[in-house]
Amino acid sequence: MSVYKHNYRAYTGRVTPLWTRVLVLARYGLAEVWSSKISIGLFTISLVPFLVFLVGIYLANNPIARLLITKGNSPGFAIDAGFFLKMLENQSWFALALASWIAPRLITFDLADNALPILLSHPISRFGYVLGKFIALFAALSLVTWIPSLMLFAYQGYSAPQPWAFANLPIAAGLLAGGVIWIVFLSILGLALSSWVKWRVVATGIIFAAVFVPAGVGGIVSAILRTKWGLLLNIPVMMTELWCRLLRAPDPMRPGQAIPTAAIAAMLLAACFICMGMLNKRIRAREVVRG
Amino acid sequence: MNDQIIFEDVSKFYGEVLGVNRISLSIPPGITTLVGPNGSGKTTLMNLMTGLVRPSSGRISVLGLTPADATEFFSNVGYCTQFDSFPRGLTGWQFIYDSLMLHGISEIDAFGLTRESLDRVQLGDAAGRSIASYSKGMRQKIRLAQAIAHHPRVLVLDEPLNGLDPMARAESLALFEELGRQGMHLVISSHILDEVDRISDRVVLITGGYLIAEGNIHQVRQEVRDKPMQVLVRCDHPELLASKMFAVNHCVEARLHADGRGVFLRTGDIDQFYSLLNGIAVEGLIKIETVAPADDDANAIYQYLIGSNGSAS
Amino acid sequence: MGIIDLDGLEVRLGGRTVLDGLTGELQGQAIGLLGPNGAGKSTLINTLLGFHPPSKGTASVFGLNAHRDRARIREGIGYMPENDSFIGNMSGVRFVRYMAELAGLPAGEALERAHEALFYVGLGEVRYRQVNTYSLGMKQLVKLAQALAHGPRLLILDEPTNGLDPMARQRMIQAIKEIRKEGSIRLLISSHLLRDIDETCDEVLILKNGRIAALCNIEAERRANRNFMELETVGAIEKFSVSIRGRGCECACFPGGRIKLVMPEHMEARDLYVLASEHGVQIRRMNLRRDSLEDIFLRAMDNEGGRPENVSL
Repeated sequence: MSVYKHNYRAYTGRVTPLWTRVLVLARYGLAEVWSSKISIGLFTISLVPFLVFLVGIYLANNPIARLLITKGNSPGFAIDAGFFLKMLENQSWFALALASWIAPRLITFDLADNALPILLSHPISRFGYVLGKFIALFAALSLVTWIPSLMLFAYQGYSAPQPWAFANLPIAAGLLAGGVIWIVFLSILGLALSSWVKWRVVATGIIFAAVFVPAGVGGIVSAILRTKWGLLLNIPVMMTELWCRLLRAPDPMRPGQAIPTAAIAAMLLAACFICMGMLNKRIRAREVVRG
Repeated sequence: MNDQIIFEDVSKFYGEVLGVNRISLSIPPGITTLVGPNGSGKTTLMNLMTGLVRPSSGRISVLGLTPADATEFFSNVGYCTQFDSFPRGLTGWQFIYDSLMLHGISEIDAFGLTRESLDRVQLGDAAGRSIASYSKGMRQKIRLAQAIAHHPRVLVLDEPLNGLDPMARAESLALFEELGRQGMHLVISSHILDEVDRISDRVVLITGGYLIAEGNIHQVRQEVRDKPMQVLVRCDHPELLASKMFAVNHCVEARLHADGRGVFLRTGDIDQFYSLLNGIAVEGLIKIETVAPADDDANAIYQYLIGSNGSAS
Repeated sequence: MGIIDLDGLEVRLGGRTVLDGLTGELQGQAIGLLGPNGAGKSTLINTLLGFHPPSKGTASVFGLNAHRDRARIREGIGYMPENDSFIGNMSGVRFVRYMAELAGLPAGEALERAHEALFYVGLGEVRYRQVNTYSLGMKQLVKLAQALAHGPRLLILDEPTNGLDPMARQRMIQAIKEIRKEGSIRLLISSHLLRDIDETCDEVLILKNGRIAALCNIEAERRANRNFMELETVGAIEKFSVSIRGRGCECACFPGGRIKLVMPEHMEARDLYVLASEHGVQIRRMNLRRDSLEDIFLRAMDNEGGRPENVSL
């Protein structure tokens, strides 16, 4: 036969297991993230403090180098929970910036041209869809928060006299837990807020606002009602508190003003539930076109 | 089989962009023409054949060799690309001589081979000038000379007649025919379909990265069954001829020629048609002047299989 | 057991009953879905895709419960929605490939099938451009390509020829017919254009006010309409129609010389011609009534109280 007809032919090959479809979403989401030059820029900039802290650890552990560089007139500083707390705080701001840029990119492109009916007509549920995006966002943000922090911890454990690492294992656990809690919260917040707004730039702004505006409101509430509980709405402060407690670092808050950990946890959980509710409602509204 | 160029289920993707998809071909010695619209994958196919790119999947073997046996492979394959660029500052002679040296040929042999290939393309007197000063046709010829200089057994030519005046075209075609007779494999891609018809018997039709048809032109034409063969018969009573054909229940379609002295007849069975025509001519009632197949050529195949919009119909 | 089974299906949306007690078995190779706006066509499609849980009764696809087993059902469905639905900043290939991977194809096969599907629907180089730069026709084609790429068992097309120019509409209809002929895919086509449904479907489901107004097999209907004829005439139509009635035909006249009639057993077309030449009437068009679908539709719309006519075989 010399003439080949290329008609439609059925597919008879392998079908991937159902649970891997979520990973397909995550994979394409990550590809979308990395295709943006600004994301790459933000990632690169977030490496700078990492390098600074790296040098700090090196200097702390090498007195000779320290002498050479500071010429003897700088006090020593200890690599302790406080040091890592500073690191985590720093990286978390970058995580916020990154999340506010990436989260809209993950969701808005799907919603802008009404892709949800086609997307969800494939074997992926609403939950699976959100989970896939969440995994992509979580992975991207991990690269900025707990992964570099743990790397620094490992380096410190390597350069310091040996028992240091074992003695300070709670710090590592704290870094991991603290980082994960923050990026889980940020991811859910970012995805929910992105789904409510049509333009990406606006979504970016709103995500920032969502972190700072309640702080102002909380301050007003505290002042008017003369109570310390307004502080609960101040997310940066609350997160720092939480990290302190996780890392067993000295508590910067005055004893009378301290908010119990349970309250902070409750606040974060409540915020997450509200966000998930928003996300669910938004996706349900867009998954079919009425009429 | 060591005298074939074989493609086994070959695909080539450039990232997400499709080059060719699942091509299986087997090219015998002689002249084979590669026909297809722009962007159909012809250049990718040629690059695969000459070992310049590796397939994403599938296997290629050229006369039993693969690019893994580099020295043998490349000394048996010659490629004349469509791209009009050369190393800077070289004369025609140097260009060919240097590429021969790259093949590891000794200086004395290279000298002789360079002279020979320049003579073959009739560029002997301009060889001493720098290529930058050549006309377009001369640049085409020097590329051709370079491709044949090392006496390859497989010659792949990408639009080799591009830019040549009619004399040069005729000379090049004659050269190709001679090389084909000597048992070389020539794979020529061209858009000029009547030249395709003249020099080659085998055609490979490709579009959108897919193989549409391959084989002897006439055989391919006969297999396009939804368009029965068309023959133009010029005679003094075309309408009588048409009705006679219909009377023996043979023609599928008859259309009178605009000038009234010929008729296009479409038939599903070309052999029977010619026997019937013979009988009618013998009868003597109709004086037949000329008989010619109207669509048994590459042009018709191209129109029927690829169509005017470039995608397979 | 048909490909789609409805058993007392009731679906409520926002407090309103949109689908009310649908019962029937859809068995055809290509099923047409017709009905006025608001009849519940989109809701039915969305229910089959598993988006709406039924408040009463069940709907099954491939024998699986539409809501409970929706993941498995969706694996075997290709959906082409009516509205614009795509991810704008992706290229056509990437979009189709993404959808194919979500449907369960491994990454390499997804790329290959994506290119095949795009080749089949006729999107050439355009596939590498971003989808938000496409024309309306191209967007329709990309939607069809993503529905086909993973080799579904059921293809759901919602207004497939929406916004297409006549050439593109022809191509789409042709593609649908070829898919139907290939045999491995069943089709469910929802459309407002009776001509589209008539050309492509063999079974039709008509919805009105959320109930089934008709479910019947078009082929069978057409075969039953043998003696119905439709004429286009010029001349003294009144006298002509009087004569026809005199011979025992039932006939109805329409402006423009159109006559629809039912011939009794003993009459044939020749008799009509005899009468026509007696009255000096020209019969300019004569055909067996092909618009049985139009009939079915109009009858279904007239049926008050929505008493369903189940003429399924």
